[in-house]
Amino acid sequence: MNLVTPMPAGQVGRSIPRLEARLKVTGRAEYVHNIVAPGMLYAKVFRSTVAHGRILSIDTSAAAGMKGVHAVVIGEDIRAIVPDPYYGPAFHDQPVLALDKVRYVGEAVAVVLAEDPYVAAAAVQLISAEYEELESVFDEVEAMTSKAVVHEVLRPAGTFPDLKHLVGRRDTNVALDYQLRRGDVDAAFASADHVFEHEFHTQQVMHTPLEPMVSLAVPGDDALTVHTASQSPSFVRIEIARLLGWPENRVRVKVPFLGGGFGAKLYIKLEALVSCLALLVRQPVKLSLSMEEQFYTITKHATTFRIKSAVTSDGRVSGRRCEVYWNGGAYADIGPRVTQKSGFTASGPYDIENISIDSYALYTNRPPAGALRGFGIPQLVWAYESHTDLIARGLGIDALEFRRKNILREGRPHATGTVMKDAAIVQVLDHVADRLDWSKPFDRGSGTIRRGRGIAIGFKASISPTTSMAMVNIAADGSTNLYMSTVDMGQGSDTAMAQIVAETLGIETEAIKVVSPDTDVTPYDMATLGSRSTFHMGNAVKLAADHARDQLAEMARSLGLPTDTNYAVKDLFKKKYGMQAGNIIGVGSFIPTYTSPDLATGLSDNVTPFWMIGGTGVEVEVDTETGHVRILRLVNAADLGRPLNPKIVETQLSGAALMQLGFTLFENMELDGGQVTNASFADYKIPGIHDLPGVIENDIVDAHQATGPYGAKGVGESATFGVSPAIANAIHDAVGVRLTELPLTPESVFRAMQAAKHSSRKD
Amino acid sequence: MKGFELARPASLAEAIALLADGDPTVRAFSGGTALMLMMKTGVFQPTRLVHLGGIEEVHSAILATEDGGLKIGALASLRQVECSPVVADIAPVLVRAMKRLSNVRVRNVARIGGNLAHGDPHMDLPPVLSALGATVGVAGLDGARRIPVESLFSGYYETVLTPGELIVDATVPPQSGWSASYVKVTTRSADDWPALGVAVALRLADGVVAESRIVVSAATEKLTRLPAAEAAILGAEPTTDVFARAGEAAAAEAETIDDARGSAAYKTALLRVHVRRALDEARHTGAMQ
Repeated sequence: MNLVTPMPAGQVGRSIPRLEARLKVTGRAEYVHNIVAPGMLYAKVFRSTVAHGRILSIDTSAAAGMKGVHAVVIGEDIRAIVPDPYYGPAFHDQPVLALDKVRYVGEAVAVVLAEDPYVAAAAVQLISAEYEELESVFDEVEAMTSKAVVHEVLRPAGTFPDLKHLVGRRDTNVALDYQLRRGDVDAAFASADHVFEHEFHTQQVMHTPLEPMVSLAVPGDDALTVHTASQSPSFVRIEIARLLGWPENRVRVKVPFLGGGFGAKLYIKLEALVSCLALLVRQPVKLSLSMEEQFYTITKHATTFRIKSAVTSDGRVSGRRCEVYWNGGAYADIGPRVTQKSGFTASGPYDIENISIDSYALYTNRPPAGALRGFGIPQLVWAYESHTDLIARGLGIDALEFRRKNILREGRPHATGTVMKDAAIVQVLDHVADRLDWSKPFDRGSGTIRRGRGIAIGFKASISPTTSMAMVNIAADGSTNLYMSTVDMGQGSDTAMAQIVAETLGIETEAIKVVSPDTDVTPYDMATLGSRSTFHMGNAVKLAADHARDQLAEMARSLGLPTDTNYAVKDLFKKKYGMQAGNIIGVGSFIPTYTSPDLATGLSDNVTPFWMIGGTGVEVEVDTETGHVRILRLVNAADLGRPLNPKIVETQLSGAALMQLGFTLFENMELDGGQVTNASFADYKIPGIHDLPGVIENDIVDAHQATGPYGAKGVGESATFGVSPAIANAIHDAVGVRLTELPLTPESVFRAMQAAKHSSRKD
Repeated sequence: MKGFELARPASLAEAIALLADGDPTVRAFSGGTALMLMMKTGVFQPTRLVHLGGIEEVHSAILATEDGGLKIGALASLRQVECSPVVADIAPVLVRAMKRLSNVRVRNVARIGGNLAHGDPHMDLPPVLSALGATVGVAGLDGARRIPVESLFSGYYETVLTPGELIVDATVPPQSGWSASYVKVTTRSADDWPALGVAVALRLADGVVAESRIVVSAATEKLTRLPAAEAAILGAEPTTDVFARAGEAAAAEAETIDDARGSAAYKTALLRVHVRRALDEARHTGAMQ
């Protein structure tokens, strides 16, 4: 670890511009929004106006009678295509269109199909529905005990062994209860010199990809093609085939470039609906959501995190108890995975002997929550790094020194029992501190402008065990195609994977063609999520390229040439086949080893194939009269193994940090009785160019992932981890107040300062 | 979105005639930046839009008036105002306010008349023009009249304009001896609508405040001039302490409202601070010669 393997000046490690950059900036890249099929109908969705209710009636007659309307479809109509039309990656809980009940405001209840999208939109206005309103629940902690029950019976998908105990469980909103027990936490608290206990909250936010969700289903002869802006084409194929009761090979899923995903476009989103509609009317059906409608699809979990630490007088954390409540909204989506996969890191990157973690996935009557860049980790780091800072302050120990004293070092067991390997936690922390000149005096401002600084560090395990497959196809002229189902949604995966092939085959990256995901053509991949592609698909691509290279060598050998022949590839083919003919197809498949955590203790000796480490340091300026916070400087440091393409890595780091900056400072889905009241970019604000910190620095820590392709591992999320707590810690440093709830708005800073002033007056 | 008719009158008189019957589904359309958003979300479904782009060119001119003031035709784009040397010379605060007003793409198409007639209390130009003492020229079936910008608004998204009346110009009186500033305060992203807008103009004589205009917007239901704040500094030396008194008076008299950008109490607190700061800035900007 922490050594860069020497590599000849090759393709890996080169900051190659994105292969598709020219296509994109000249407007020639293909997106699903641009695809039109002959005879295509446009779908527009009629949505629920109540948060929880039994459907009494749906009146579609006026809409159906409108000129230009082809059909109006409700939930019961879907049963003609799929008798049990419920889908989802963890639970089969989400109906293609609402059946019997609606569970959140904005849920799809009916669909109008028309040749003209404006006619479809106008006809939707003519639909009305009557509901018997049911008691609803919106808060994740209340959902633990509320009388309102979102789903009468739990329906786990059955693909995950750790969900099996939930089959058939009734009258509960707890979709998953994950627990981890290590050592003796009660004893640690009984013998503690200090006990610190805090509660932190995060708000519900949204991915806001600038390309809203879009899917087009084209029915064929006993077959179906789905063009979709999806991060998981293989999953879509399998799930659509399961719903239809078809073999996989009759469903074809094609994915061009995506205009951003961030976890929004995972699993099934619009695909089940357009597939059923297309098969019902036997015509192509396209559904393009508006930006506003995206607020009713998938979001990031709001959370409540209660964290309590036992600390010894010399500043060692001896025990930690974590209770995390995840507000999953009306449908589980991948929430139970977030609850478990992120839940087991809730005690943080610290070496703590005694740990207890309870992590609960809750159903509520909000729009569903799933994966969003970080997969739950930013919510956890927000709490444990704010808590860490408060402990250091409480003990009067420097925040960096306290972290160093407790940090989880290489070779030590993590809370799960998995021994840390290739995890540059200490180095990331040191990088952040060095960049900020932590040990040197700091200008703290004066008058109404006060300055402060803060640090935070987080880590993430990779989702596992998951599979990636890849093919490398060398044509008779030596030109090379890479076939894989990793979706390039802007993160640069096409370029990075081509670099792996190029490095292995000793050719130019720019000469390789990467074939867009198409399940009839490109092999299986679990999904493009959780920063898994560089490691998982990267390994599969490396194996496929190795396989192709070995076959080239074998071809040379079979022709009686020496192994180090300087024969060009095209001449090898010509010599072998007598003309320009033939292919070499290299295949690679990769699945890492994994030990499933024990259900009772949550322990596992091999819980992840690799760790992602991200740290953040910030310097802020606070206006003490208004509460406005300016980020003067933002430092991101990450362990991502060896960077395949340093320039892309750097933009991943700054992009992730800026996205989290929005979630930290102002992004917030405002809800009134379950209704999102700011579902548009006019009222839901994301960071713009003027919100950028004065200085952004991105540090790639010198590291090497021994099991990764050319020493690399994932990076897409790492810079999200520390942003929120680093800013809250810096605000505390500047003006002496602690915020425990996101977003950190100027008003919340102002109010906290007012409250502090009043309480100090009373003292 | 349903279909609608797009009328293209060639003259102001023709446009007025097309709008005169008061049908709420018939609206004038200039830059369309606000109207198109309302149509997209279904808040407004027109039967007819009266496109003003084809009327006499004089209505988009920006001119210095004979007395040293400024006359901005209603169809001048915000970008034209931003780049106009005449505006920079006579009322530079308008140019400064443009820098954080939406973005250059919107400023290229949005027009002064629409910006004022829309009645949206979050707009930046109405408070600035009010502080400058501007009036709007209005034309209708019954003839022309002038209305001070500070009296143009009757409520949230409401103006005193009657059906068929169109704003034809905004006229700024001579600014000699005055200095002005505008503070836009956002509480979410920098490009958000303001939580508070404060525009002030000061005229000093013999070392004391001889006259001032202090205007709040965005935090209140409609643009509001604050006489108590103005009275608090009248005749006083232009010091930060004196300006703080204006801030206190403003906080006491303005009726701020709650919304997603902040509570009423917080906006009042912001107003208290930013009236003082805006006056300080105006003083430091220096009076127009």
